[in-house]
Amino acid sequence: MIRKLHCILRLNSTITQSIYKQRAPTLHCRNYATNEANENHKNDSSNTKRGGAAGSSKNLPSIRNPFAAAHEKTKNSYLTMVEIFEERDVHRRNHVEFIYAALKHMPDFGVEHDLEVYKALINVMPKGKFIPTNLFQAEFMHYPKQQQCIIDLLEQMEDYGVMPDYEMEAMLLNVFGNKGHPLRKYWRMMYWMPKFKNLSPWPLPDPVPDDTLEIAKLAVERMCTVDLRSKIDVFETSEIKDALDDTWIVSGMSPEQSKLMREHSRQKALYIEGPFNIWIRNRRINYFTLRADADPEFLAQLDKPQVDEDDVTQIGVPLFGRAPPRRHNQLGKVRSVHQQDDGTIFAICATGTSTKDSLLSWIRLLEAHGNASLGEIPVLFRFTSTVPAKAEQIEGPSNLPAHSSDTSSNKEHPDSKP
Amino acid sequence: MHCLVRQTQRLSCWLPAAQIHTTALQRTFWEREKKSGYKTKLPEPSKKQLIIDGLRDLKEEIKLWRQEVKEKLESDPILVFRPGETDIVFDFKAPDALDKWTVTTDADHGEGKSRATLELSASGAGLFHGEVNSQHTKDGIIKRTGYANIRTKRVRKSFKRESTYDWTQYNMLIMKVRGDGRSYLINLHTEGYFDLMWNDIYHYVLYTRGGPHWQIAKIPFSKFFLSSKGRVQDRQNAISLDCVTHFGFSVAAKKGMDGPFGLEIDYVGLEYDPSHQEEFAYEMYKTPKYIVAT
Repeated sequence: MIRKLHCILRLNSTITQSIYKQRAPTLHCRNYATNEANENHKNDSSNTKRGGAAGSSKNLPSIRNPFAAAHEKTKNSYLTMVEIFEERDVHRRNHVEFIYAALKHMPDFGVEHDLEVYKALINVMPKGKFIPTNLFQAEFMHYPKQQQCIIDLLEQMEDYGVMPDYEMEAMLLNVFGNKGHPLRKYWRMMYWMPKFKNLSPWPLPDPVPDDTLEIAKLAVERMCTVDLRSKIDVFETSEIKDALDDTWIVSGMSPEQSKLMREHSRQKALYIEGPFNIWIRNRRINYFTLRADADPEFLAQLDKPQVDEDDVTQIGVPLFGRAPPRRHNQLGKVRSVHQQDDGTIFAICATGTSTKDSLLSWIRLLEAHGNASLGEIPVLFRFTSTVPAKAEQIEGPSNLPAHSSDTSSNKEHPDSKP
Repeated sequence: MHCLVRQTQRLSCWLPAAQIHTTALQRTFWEREKKSGYKTKLPEPSKKQLIIDGLRDLKEEIKLWRQEVKEKLESDPILVFRPGETDIVFDFKAPDALDKWTVTTDADHGEGKSRATLELSASGAGLFHGEVNSQHTKDGIIKRTGYANIRTKRVRKSFKRESTYDWTQYNMLIMKVRGDGRSYLINLHTEGYFDLMWNDIYHYVLYTRGGPHWQIAKIPFSKFFLSSKGRVQDRQNAISLDCVTHFGFSVAAKKGMDGPFGLEIDYVGLEYDPSHQEEFAYEMYKTPKYIVAT
């Protein structure tokens, strides 16, 4: 049956070719709608399957897509399918369609970041056949469908951030020769990709770990790079006697922030704000901050320059009996990096459940671990979106609105609680 | 060439089959207009409205023109740019800051589902936020989508004459931002006169730390690389800072980063740092013949 289908396909292709011949002059518009074609093929194959084996020859021509039909979706089965295709017959008919189908189904098999798989796909191409032998062939993109196919493969690699290696260059040279367009794409990739690969000032593991705790640690560590003395603690809420949630808390705080908290007025409230987003590669995690409103007068006083450098009316010349400027007693308070214009940040945390109870436990834990002054300062919640009170409510059937976002309605003093 | 085209047209008249395009038609020889086919026709206001708007604008334009003439007569340009001093170009604390920017997403032309807004945040800075989504309408033409973008309006002189920024005295771009851990793309458009240069954009990445603290990013102009329509070009050269026409940020939903984003921008400024001597950060190899842009 498959052979029959192939026959029809070939027939169909001759028809399209004849149409092309009639409008030959427009051929300079090079665009290969292979993706669409692929989609059609896939639909067709599903149609034939649904229609049953018998009597389906009247349907549109199709190519069997082994990737959609595979039961076991692993790298091994993927590579086996590529091998089967290679060994099926000498001519490897429809290898372009096969490669496009294979590229499309890569994420299903979880191999989209695997260089070996991409190499296996390039290996499907016959060696030496597509190398141009004269100047005209080289100039007019010899075997354009095949070249475009491999360019699309390289583009997919680029999109997934997979960097090729030198073996791939050798393979491409064997297939398309040094004038091939895929080679040009390869060289461009090998020039630019290494330049951007390690550019980020906050390097991250690739791939990012799946564990939420590990991601939370990475996130808090990243946010705390603003102060080199920051310390990241991983607390368990089970340390607190009457905590409702049993979860972890990743907290980041520096000695400077502790000092600021000690100096903070007991009358001015602190706010637990959040949840905010931070992205760790393609993972998003919520975090909360412990913050106090800024004191603009105090900040202005810190920022004010002691001497106006532009004022030239009174230049103190250290001559004529005038004492030279004395260096001592000129030190003032320096503004801390945590004293931002829109507030003073005392600590950052990410909890396993992101509930009000876990945040309350966080405050208690901070108080227990060297911030005794936290017990005397009122702490308020100020949420930007709904945050459940405790973990059970997330899984519970009734979705209770935990708290509204305005601060006045959910004032809660941790010290008033037992 | 013309003869061929005419022949095709005649053929297509004769043959109904030839009118059906099995492949997308590409006209890549020259660009008709700056939007490359993405120009949406807006309804033109009535003639009366045009006159009223024109007269209203005239007042502002004359004010601008007067300022220009005054500066010309004074002829007292700043000659010494003090090192280490940041000159702010785009300040979100200014009253009409948001009017200077245009927000675009892939949803504007029905090619995606991203959405984005630019507004003032609680701390008085500009907050570019929204959600990027890489899901797209499967029309067989679009392969990848998912972006949001902000861009300043074209810099101009009085009477709506286009001009360019002149940043030749500086070598650093300074930005005070607060991001969400995503990387953003900084775009410096250097739109040229010819259609080949309409899409010239110099890019660099803005890595954001995330977290509640503000971050000051200091990026040398020498690091910016040239691209056109999203493709990094083979023949590179350093950005000519007297040709900058627009400035903008982009964010994409690439590599599974679909979801909300938020970039708070306090200001974008310029600085001259004498210790930075680099002219262009990338090698300028001579590419083999007939390879460039193929």
